[in-house]
Amino acid sequence: MKSHEYDKIFSKFTGVEGDLIPLLIQIQERDGYISPEAIRRVARFLKISENQIYGVATFYPKFRFEEPGKKTIKVCMGTACHVRGGKFLAEAVGWHFGISIGQKTPDNRLDFQRATCLGCCTLGPVVQIDEKIHPRMMVTQLMQMLREHE
Amino acid sequence: MREKDATVTVIIDNQSYRVPRGYTILQAAERFDIYIPTLCSHKDLSPFGGCRLCIVEVEGMRNFPTACTTPVEEGMIIRTHTAQVQSVRKEILQLFLSEHTSSCLICDEREECKRYLGTIRKAGVTTGCRYCPKDGQCELQEVVEKLGIQEIEYPIYYRNLRVEKEDPFYDRDYNLCILCGRCVRMCQEVRLANVLAFKQRGRNTIVGPAYARTHLESGCEFCGACVSVCPTGTLYEKARKWEGVAQLEQVTTCSFCGVGCQISLQIKADRVIGGLPAEDPLVNNGQLCVKGRFCIPELVNGPWRLRHPFKKFNGLEVDISWEDAITLAAEQLSRCAPDEFGLLISSNCTTEDLYIAQKFARVAMGSNQVDSPARLFYGPALNAYLALLEKSVPLAEVREAPAILCVGLDTRYGRSVVGVELRRAMHRGARVITIHPREHNLALTAHAWIQPPPGGEGEILQFFARFTAGEESASPPETNLSSETLRQLARELKQASGVVILVGSEVLHYSASPQILAVLHRLAENLGAGVLPLPAQNNFVGSLLMGTYPELLPGGFSSANEKRLKELEKVWQTEFRPLTNGWNSGNLSAGKPLKVLYLIGEALPSGEPPAEFLIFQNIYPPDSPIRPDLTLPAAAFTEADGTFVNGEGRVQRVHRAVNPPGEALPDWEILCRIARKMGVRGFDFSDVREIHREIAALVDGFQDFDQPPRQARSLTIEGKFQIAASGSFEAKPDGKKYPYLLNAAPLEHVYRGFPLSSRVEGARVIFADEVLHMNPRDARRARLQEGDPVEVTSQYFRKVWPVKFSPELNRGIVQVTVLQNELIGLNPIPVIIRKSHV
Repeated sequence: MKSHEYDKIFSKFTGVEGDLIPLLIQIQERDGYISPEAIRRVARFLKISENQIYGVATFYPKFRFEEPGKKTIKVCMGTACHVRGGKFLAEAVGWHFGISIGQKTPDNRLDFQRATCLGCCTLGPVVQIDEKIHPRMMVTQLMQMLREHE
Repeated sequence: MREKDATVTVIIDNQSYRVPRGYTILQAAERFDIYIPTLCSHKDLSPFGGCRLCIVEVEGMRNFPTACTTPVEEGMIIRTHTAQVQSVRKEILQLFLSEHTSSCLICDEREECKRYLGTIRKAGVTTGCRYCPKDGQCELQEVVEKLGIQEIEYPIYYRNLRVEKEDPFYDRDYNLCILCGRCVRMCQEVRLANVLAFKQRGRNTIVGPAYARTHLESGCEFCGACVSVCPTGTLYEKARKWEGVAQLEQVTTCSFCGVGCQISLQIKADRVIGGLPAEDPLVNNGQLCVKGRFCIPELVNGPWRLRHPFKKFNGLEVDISWEDAITLAAEQLSRCAPDEFGLLISSNCTTEDLYIAQKFARVAMGSNQVDSPARLFYGPALNAYLALLEKSVPLAEVREAPAILCVGLDTRYGRSVVGVELRRAMHRGARVITIHPREHNLALTAHAWIQPPPGGEGEILQFFARFTAGEESASPPETNLSSETLRQLARELKQASGVVILVGSEVLHYSASPQILAVLHRLAENLGAGVLPLPAQNNFVGSLLMGTYPELLPGGFSSANEKRLKELEKVWQTEFRPLTNGWNSGNLSAGKPLKVLYLIGEALPSGEPPAEFLIFQNIYPPDSPIRPDLTLPAAAFTEADGTFVNGEGRVQRVHRAVNPPGEALPDWEILCRIARKMGVRGFDFSDVREIHREIAALVDGFQDFDQPPRQARSLTIEGKFQIAASGSFEAKPDGKKYPYLLNAAPLEHVYRGFPLSSRVEGARVIFADEVLHMNPRDARRARLQEGDPVEVTSQYFRKVWPVKFSPELNRGIVQVTVLQNELIGLNPIPVIIRKSHV
């Protein structure tokens, strides 16, 4: 993010401690993650140390600290999807790309995350690629889809 | 009735107690010596309720509340040691231990091991089972013993984290951490430094700074407060690792800067093994900086401490007895005319040493050639600085001031005690404005950080001074802040009453410093503000009061004051003739060539030895290749009694905590013995008390040696210091030809002429001396790697220093810290920077 874009976000806030989490959310929405530069700028804006901001932010699994891959694949591991075999889907993705949950491929193209319920349990097990939800997924189907996406 | 309101009656373990209202159950129990196990609570920190060990049974309350977070109420019935509470506590403790490498806590042989150290002898401390440096001081160990845990029923979950040893002064082994949060609260609540935080959550929780940064990178001040409160062996001092438990404590005054913190020396087997802050509300309030907390043991216990006197004989250095050494010194001094003698004494010495030194020069030698090289630290700004010292106010004013202006003050390593006061002031709502060319540790939290180029502080102060004098149309200089903001700040300063101005060291070494300090003085007068000049030398004020300068007599009188001279002649029973030939430590060759130069606690001047006979009296041999003709071993401040006068003018005691090594003696005693040998009267002191009594008769503010009043007094001195003109720099060099601006400052962290970084391993890391600091982007553009030798050329000099990347510097500015006795000259000075090809 450019300097003026930060300023644009900051202009919506008054600069009190309570602004920290809404600020981080907006930055993450824009960048997809919280960069060290973002923490540095927020620290100066709110006059809180970077260490404290990092401590607060890492408490919430929602915040990410590494740049995400271009495409995101989320495998649902909520109760319903888990019972219907979500775990196998996750393993399949892991095997295919040689990465585990929370990592991204070395070429930065694919980001592998888990979800804990996407709100469509009747369709489980579900996989979300970017914004699109793929219902009633099977390992073979998923593999084919991934090959297409590559 | 009112009495009743202030206290409540509670029943603890079937006994009724009256407890002040607002106390927690734990505080109440501690007050009446009822043991409740706890690991996370600490008297200086807010209640946390993290360890859950202090749970108690309270009648009428559900579950077991934690004693540290539950306030007492009227009629509460508390049971601290029921079988059920104890069993839950044991369960909780076992959960702790399942994550803590705990063989030493539950091992069958731990009793024998403690007694015979069987394993250590065979396997060495690192592999033996008592491998934790905190063994014997560990609070976890204590609780395990009190609760009687024999085995752990839970599976062991070892986190297998890397032991972090990359930072100076202390190591961190988070495998031992029990997440009590004491260090985090210490850093956030008490020090307000916010370096440590809890990161991640659940079982991945770990304490540390942002990302995987080291403490050095994340702004840590290395105050060691976290280390002091750690209940386990997670945080441990490197230098004190296997020293074990201290046997004695001695409160004394720290000797590393003019703040004058009270410090509690930890003593074991006649050695100082550490320094902890003493509870003292007057000055440091239970806080210390890195120098006092960590640097003392390594400095005073160094293996190269001087133990015996020795002399140069046929090019060799030969051990001699004290008797011979005194005779030799007396012989040499007796054949020396008053103007062929010079004495330099460090302002790190005690007031009594300083007094005896100047008396020695003036009475025994009949000479006025006594000086303290602290004057070189202040350079041309000395007189302006003394004018500020005359306006000094106590540090306590910072605690009440509505607005505080800091000039050239970085409180990260030196004076971090003042930094804590400043951050507290910001918390209670005081406006803190800091003027500093570099991004420093006040920059983030201060309300305003005005960033001038080095040397540009004067223009900002000038603007403030003019504005506050009523010239509201004055136009502010260009800085990082808009002119409107600067006007607003000036208005705030003008409206506030009781402003305090803090002066750090980083504004004293510019060529324009005399003018900058003069403007500062004027601004202080306009605002009716108090000034805290925070001198760098612990006894600078003492040296001024004792008159260890050619221009000054004891009591701050000018040496041209005839009336005072007459008085002193009467007291000292001597005839006194002052020499006013411009001799001083910056100008040793001003008078006749010296026959004897006597250095007490001072480094040797660089270059040719400036006298025929050199007497060197110090705690270490000199660093320079010149060998003195006579070397006398002196005692360090931990080994002698006396007093220091801090920057606020408080007279504070220094206590002898341990014996000096070998045959070393306090400075005053050596001087008195030489004087007696020379047959001079007036040096028959048998202890420091007698010297102090003589001082008290001559100088205001000195009274009882054993219980000095410790009152802050601003300095009053008469006359001006002679300052060597810096002379030959008329033309300002061309900015185009010399694109970088070099800001050079003399070394500040010196004890008796030795930089701390030359004696203390950690200090070498934090105080990068003789290293060129440079913005990393500039450095990359110049194709420099960190550590590369760099040639710095100005119109007047050419120097080579290794480069260090400092992102806190602005582009185009380079900075270096040089040894005190090097001439700085024009500062800041435009330079060219080139990679040096050796």
